[in-house]
Amino acid sequence: MTLLEVKGLIVNRSGVPVVRGIDLVARSGEISVVLGSNGAGKTTTLEGLSGIIPASGEIVLDNASIAGASAGKRARAGLRHVEQGRTVFPEMTTEENLKVALHPDASLGEAYELFPELVQRRDVKAGMLSGGEQQMLVIARALVGRPKVIMVDEMSSGLAPVVVNRLMSGVRKLADGGMAVVLVEQFATLALGIGDRAYVLRRGQVVYDGGCAELARDPKRLHHLYLGDSVQAG
Amino acid sequence: MKHASIKAALRTAVWLAVLAAAAALFLPKYWLFLITAVFIVGVALQSLGIVTGRTGMISLCQMSFAGVGAWVTGYLNLYEVPGGLVVWVLLGGLAAVPVGIVIGLPALRLRGINLAIVTLGFAAAFDTILATITYPGQTTFTQVVRPALFESDKGYFLFIMLVYGLIAVALEFLSRSRLGASWLAVRHSERAAAAQGISIPMAKLSAFAISAFISGISGGLLAGYLGTLVAENFNMMQSLALFAVATMVGAHFTLGAIAGGLMITLFPELLRRIGLPQDVGNVFFALGAVQALSTGETISETWARLGSKLMPARLKGQKRSTATTTLAAPAVHAKGTALEVSGLTVRYANVVALDKVELSVPSRTVVGLIGPNGAGKSTTIDAITGFLPRYEGSVRLDGRPLEGLSATARARAGVRRSWQTTRIAPELRVGEYIRLAAGGIKPGEIEAVLEWFDCPSPETLIATVDAGTRRLIDVAGVVASRPPVLLLDEPAAGQSYAEALKLGERIAAIPEKFGSAVLLIEHDMDLVRRACSAITVFDFGRKIAHGAPDAVLGSVIVQKAYMGVELEEQAA
Amino acid sequence: MNSLLTSAVAGLSAGGAYAILGVCAIFNYRLVAVVNFTGAAIGAAGTFVMVALYEAGFPLAVDVVAGVAAGALAATLIGLVMTTWFAGSSASTKAAVTAALLVGIIAVGLRLTGGQHPHNFPEIVAGSAFRLAGVEVTRASVLTIAISVLFTVLTEMFLARTRMGLQLRALSQRPMAAELIGIRVKLLALCVWAVMGAVTSFALMVIAPLRSPDFMSISLLVVPALAAALIGAFTSFRAALVGGLMIGVIEGLASGLDAFSQYRGAIPFVVILAVLLWSQRGARWDEAR
Repeated sequence: MTLLEVKGLIVNRSGVPVVRGIDLVARSGEISVVLGSNGAGKTTTLEGLSGIIPASGEIVLDNASIAGASAGKRARAGLRHVEQGRTVFPEMTTEENLKVALHPDASLGEAYELFPELVQRRDVKAGMLSGGEQQMLVIARALVGRPKVIMVDEMSSGLAPVVVNRLMSGVRKLADGGMAVVLVEQFATLALGIGDRAYVLRRGQVVYDGGCAELARDPKRLHHLYLGDSVQAG
Repeated sequence: MKHASIKAALRTAVWLAVLAAAAALFLPKYWLFLITAVFIVGVALQSLGIVTGRTGMISLCQMSFAGVGAWVTGYLNLYEVPGGLVVWVLLGGLAAVPVGIVIGLPALRLRGINLAIVTLGFAAAFDTILATITYPGQTTFTQVVRPALFESDKGYFLFIMLVYGLIAVALEFLSRSRLGASWLAVRHSERAAAAQGISIPMAKLSAFAISAFISGISGGLLAGYLGTLVAENFNMMQSLALFAVATMVGAHFTLGAIAGGLMITLFPELLRRIGLPQDVGNVFFALGAVQALSTGETISETWARLGSKLMPARLKGQKRSTATTTLAAPAVHAKGTALEVSGLTVRYANVVALDKVELSVPSRTVVGLIGPNGAGKSTTIDAITGFLPRYEGSVRLDGRPLEGLSATARARAGVRRSWQTTRIAPELRVGEYIRLAAGGIKPGEIEAVLEWFDCPSPETLIATVDAGTRRLIDVAGVVASRPPVLLLDEPAAGQSYAEALKLGERIAAIPEKFGSAVLLIEHDMDLVRRACSAITVFDFGRKIAHGAPDAVLGSVIVQKAYMGVELEEQAA
Repeated sequence: MNSLLTSAVAGLSAGGAYAILGVCAIFNYRLVAVVNFTGAAIGAAGTFVMVALYEAGFPLAVDVVAGVAAGALAATLIGLVMTTWFAGSSASTKAAVTAALLVGIIAVGLRLTGGQHPHNFPEIVAGSAFRLAGVEVTRASVLTIAISVLFTVLTEMFLARTRMGLQLRALSQRPMAAELIGIRVKLLALCVWAVMGAVTSFALMVIAPLRSPDFMSISLLVVPALAAALIGAFTSFRAALVGGLMIGVIEGLASGLDAFSQYRGAIPFVVILAVLLWSQRGARWDEAR
């Protein structure tokens, strides 16, 4: 089931067009991976979708248009944006971070089930957690809000591979539980390994839209999409 | 540029002269007396325009500065100091200067809110002091003596117009000078201003000093106007109301100061005539100020915008002159290694952002610095240009260490940078910005550099230029200063693929055309290939590769850093 | 010696008011990120609604409740302006807005209350509470200090224990992240404004009879209030509490000394200057508030 459908998304960042007309779909139970090198417009896409910065284009969440709604309204409608940079509430404990986001029907147990690592850190201030734990916390915090769609931005940046693997399997579990996941990543391979559908952005436009597995099988193409190729481009 | 200032100053002077003559000839005595107050308030508004409008520091004690000037004028009058009102007013203005500097001192390190609190506190303190020491001659009703030549009300009106005109013309020159541009730059971004070699303390203190001087003069003029004064003329409410009006009209514009003066003086008169209480005026000013703050546009700017819409298109077209300009010969800098970074380590709390990285930019070459998010590229630029409180390791420019130098000093020594987000003050014209960025540049050269970068003409207002072009102007500014080293931080972000490639070719030509070495941070690898003769790659705060572009981009370790996989291995 | 103590104790009631106003200023800044120049003016509005009802002959309890409600309403209106048009503005712009609003509020207030025209201020608490070393300590000063301590403690507890307090802390730490998890940011902000308005109003009602009780003088108590808030670095409620009391006591002492008594109004400025120069000695660039 399609939970998020985006058509012709255009987003300007302080007047500069960063996202130049993007179509994107996220389905229940699936992970849509958004790839691209730095500056391709991945983060700006998410910010336009969640309402942090104004965007134009159609945004339909579970058959209801949310374009034009405030960030808070979109969040309450069931769209969760896990920003990059692990935006925990640093002066609150792990448990408080979860409690503040808790949906009436959800329980803290769901969060601890997803990332059992957090249990023994429940009374520690979130600012004192390691980078990996903070990343787990913000994903778990999004989960207990019972969203329909969850968008995770650059969760692996600056983290050790072991931790990244752990996070990736956590995100896979979210999707298997019926949510639609949009995963923005710079590191392609791991994301392609767990994702279903892939989008590659370059200078604010989609230059690849297709299956994750196909792209993972064609490293030459991935190389070209990422690092450019003066021979082909020229 | 000189030409433009003279033209603007002349225009202001002529307008004011015409206005003064018309008023003196046709207005009845009562109205002439009222109009005189308009321009005295106008002087006070102009003084507030310098600190708040131009430099962006909230001052809530402007009438206290005026009070200092008025008190000194009254004092000199009481003791009949020779020289008459003109000298007294000048001395009054000068007396306000040290007060302004003392109030401005906390602003050296603080901005905005703290300064607002300090100035409001000063206004309150000055109130109690003035209430205690009273105004000189207040108890004996001693009138301040006007100059013999301007003794009548009509004469004093002309005197005020003369003073107003002098100040307006002086400010016209000042606003187009490098100092005036530096105030706007400080208002917009202190970091960007420092990176252009502007001394922030100098800019702020000079704004406060000049503002206090002009405000002090307005106080002296008021003393001559009313004859006797009382403490209430300068109390905190007056300062607050002046702030509200200045915010509403935009007191740093010539037109705005006069409009504000008209409102403060004539609004109560109008309300009196239609039988409304006069203090309703303050409510109107408060709402007007809130409206201006919410739209980010003062009344002056609204008028200018509407005016330019009405203006016929042929007057508006700022076409570049067809005469082709040529760039001056490239600057000659020392040969060898222009920029040498060694053992650079930066820690934030317990995170190591940079770990003993090495980086070297030979003179007259373009070196690319690439790496995935969080690799430490921008941190490196911040460290080199002096924007980090501390780092370990050394940064050398032409062999000389830069440690211990402030960001301003490093910019002046010849390490210049551009910014990821545009930080150009929108009130500036393109040419003024280039002159601010490249102090001492010749007008012809400004044209030539702008043309080389395909930027708009020097007279174009930055506010009318799209953001992508602003970034280009930012780059043109640092390039025009022809430093030994310039650091470009993602200059092509937000540009289309074709534009980015074109920019890459231009960057490649910078060493040859301008004599500078370039360190380029960029994510578009096609641009990097075009511009750079060598590439250094960072990942997780470490240097992982260095060499010729194609070799580096083809290397396994770089691909792994970027895509998290060893493609060749997987393909094999 | 005894006379000095008398003047110091006399400064306590003013100090209590400064402390509450300072704590409210921090409340405002920490939770909705506004340095509010209208704080005392909002309290003045509430106070004068109470006085008007009192003069009209309503019972005191009704007057006080209505005044507190009016203060809350006035604060909510300002909060509405701030959250509707200035939610994304810089801290500096928000401060400029409140400074401009102060001009308008004082004008309206002076107009409606008849300027310096004297009013019949009821003493909500009258008389002496106890004697300290032979000096009368008034009930009003004890009450203002009690309110400021109580408000500080209650605020701290509320923030730590309740769900709404949790949301407020989240909002103050990362406003955007709070909005992205669906917290009703605007509604919460308006509640903060309302509480601030109610508390300030009540505090000023208690001390109004002791001051020159015209609308403008009360509104301009914002200066010592912000001085107290600065002592708390706009973060520590307790430091602001102590700072406010200290300013009051110093003012009291100064009025006991003939040479200084005329200049005691300059004391908050001296405190502000000293605190800022000291606390900001290491700061650089645009990072300061």
